[in-house]
Amino acid sequence: IALVQLGQPCVCLPPLRAAAEQLRQKDLRISQLQADLRRPPPAPAQPPEPEALPTIYVVTPTYARLVQKAELVQPSQTLSLVPRLQWLLVEDAEGPTPLVSGLLAASGLLFTHLAVLSHKAQRLWPRGVEQRNRALDWGAVGGEKDPPPPGTRGVMYFADNDNTYSRKLFEEMRWTCGVSVWPVGLVGGLQFEGPRIQDGRVVGFHTAWEPNRPFPVDMAGFAVALSLLLAKPNSRFDATAPWGHLESSLLSHLVDPKDLEPRAANCTRVLVWHTRTEKPKMKQEEQLQRGGRGSDPAVEV
Amino acid sequence: MGWRAAPAAPCLACPAHSRAFLPTAAAAQLTRSCGPSQPWRCRSGGTSSRLCSSCSPGRCWSPCGTRAPSRPCSPRARMTVVTPGARRPLARTPGSTACLTGTSWRCRPVQKAELTRLANTLLHVPNLHWLVVEDAPRRTPLTARLLRDTGLNYTHLHVETPRNYKLRGDARDPRIPRGTMQRNLALRWLREAFPRNSSQPGVVYFADDDNTYSLELFEEMRSTRRVSVWPVAFVGGLRYEAPRVNGAGKVVGWKTVFDPHRPFAIDMAGFAVNLRLILQRSQAYFKLRGVKGGYQESSLLRELVTLSDLEPKAANCTKILVWHTRTEKPVLVNEGKKGFTDPTVEI
Repeated sequence: IALVQLGQPCVCLPPLRAAAEQLRQKDLRISQLQADLRRPPPAPAQPPEPEALPTIYVVTPTYARLVQKAELVQPSQTLSLVPRLQWLLVEDAEGPTPLVSGLLAASGLLFTHLAVLSHKAQRLWPRGVEQRNRALDWGAVGGEKDPPPPGTRGVMYFADNDNTYSRKLFEEMRWTCGVSVWPVGLVGGLQFEGPRIQDGRVVGFHTAWEPNRPFPVDMAGFAVALSLLLAKPNSRFDATAPWGHLESSLLSHLVDPKDLEPRAANCTRVLVWHTRTEKPKMKQEEQLQRGGRGSDPAVEV
Repeated sequence: MGWRAAPAAPCLACPAHSRAFLPTAAAAQLTRSCGPSQPWRCRSGGTSSRLCSSCSPGRCWSPCGTRAPSRPCSPRARMTVVTPGARRPLARTPGSTACLTGTSWRCRPVQKAELTRLANTLLHVPNLHWLVVEDAPRRTPLTARLLRDTGLNYTHLHVETPRNYKLRGDARDPRIPRGTMQRNLALRWLREAFPRNSSQPGVVYFADDDNTYSLELFEEMRSTRRVSVWPVAFVGGLRYEAPRVNGAGKVVGWKTVFDPHRPFAIDMAGFAVNLRLILQRSQAYFKLRGVKGGYQESSLLRELVTLSDLEPKAANCTKILVWHTRTEKPVLVNEGKKGFTDPTVEI
């Protein structure tokens, strides 16, 4: 009678008791099914990692300036399209900055975040030397941050952040044995600069500016096999090299021009462009700041 | 047919969508998507390892289970991104060659680079249609090939801005802003492609090819009901320009120094329009002539919406998700008068 008062069915009689038990079992089952529906399904088997593919290690030096974030967002979107790639971002700073850390975390890329502060003399020109050398240290000798495991097949590419890279470029460089080369668009005062090829070998360079450089190629125009860097672990860029000779200062330690491996259809296709971003005009910002009304510095640009 | 995450995994049907979408090269072993599903990356300890994705009826999720939340596979608004590929003549500097119609010279050396870069961004955005409108008398093979090779969903249009509009314009009217005729052609194309009362969910965004766009921006604009707005960096001589939003989340003005009394003091990259609104207001176009500098956006927006109807995005217009970067004109002094490099090599 108490149960009836509570609105519960009376289960004092055996048939009713059995029916109530059946209902209870069904309720339990419904709850279990509802829980199952809420739970995400088990993960299907992962696609096999393309283990056979050598890893491309892309080295990008960066320094704090107005367009820094924008110029890192751009390449991160391109690099995200390339499988088996690790981005080595090296800041010209005392340590990793929150802006760059946040960007890398959000990028979805496999990355290594390094930082080395340039000497005062090197902060203007040539930029990025110490940062690229830091990446070479990491690749050749290892360091505290996840060096490539021994025996890793890979290639290192120095990708400045204002250039434009097509996806195809990365597939061209992936199977480099020593040093591979290709044309670069919009550099050296030309539509493109690049090696001259005959019978599949580099016989000269198509360039108009300082053609007597040992390697008249732009930083974006070559990639180096990791195995070669490990075989010549002291190879570095020379910060004291004359203007335009930075690339030669590294490559001269690594390879002879005749042993360069041509890519991009025997260096006839342009897959990377030496684009440069204009410095943004800040006239009104400067005006406002003089009046103490500059835009909110807490808003990250 | 859903994503096939591995050859042995079952294919699950996701019936809501018809388009196949393969956003990345790494997905080559994956077959077709159920539409707007996004490939998810596994993360552990700050590094990302592999691409994996799955879609089942009604839901897409990250099988790696870490950070990515599952999302409903509902029909999301399709994004139409309009890019006018304006032709810019080379500046006349000593030693360079001016752009002349009819020669073998490309009038804009950075065109391919800029479209490549933008394509690499758009490849990450699900359910997107790219409307590229060339400022040219016909579709150029360079752009046609590039678009085809991207794998994106696209439409390739062209309309040439008359020479006098480009160089001097009428003495009383300023030169029309670059890209106006091209954007208007895109609007017209949309109105012809869809019926006036179409229920197709969509958002239209005018994306110039030298800006920088974060992927988050496209997801912010997707929920646009009429016209949505957000800050843009590096415009108007400021770090950023932004709509002024009050405590109730309404746009009440503009944080800008350059002509803040414009009806819509906003850059082209700072707004998006719901497709239905474009179709309903079929006479709304960018004004061609007699438009003062900085008023081009207003010339369209005032036909579509009032200030109070604007929908602020990007955390009530406090986050920067798009930067008005500009590519420097390349210095090609060493090409000389006759051209130094092989003209058959496409750059």
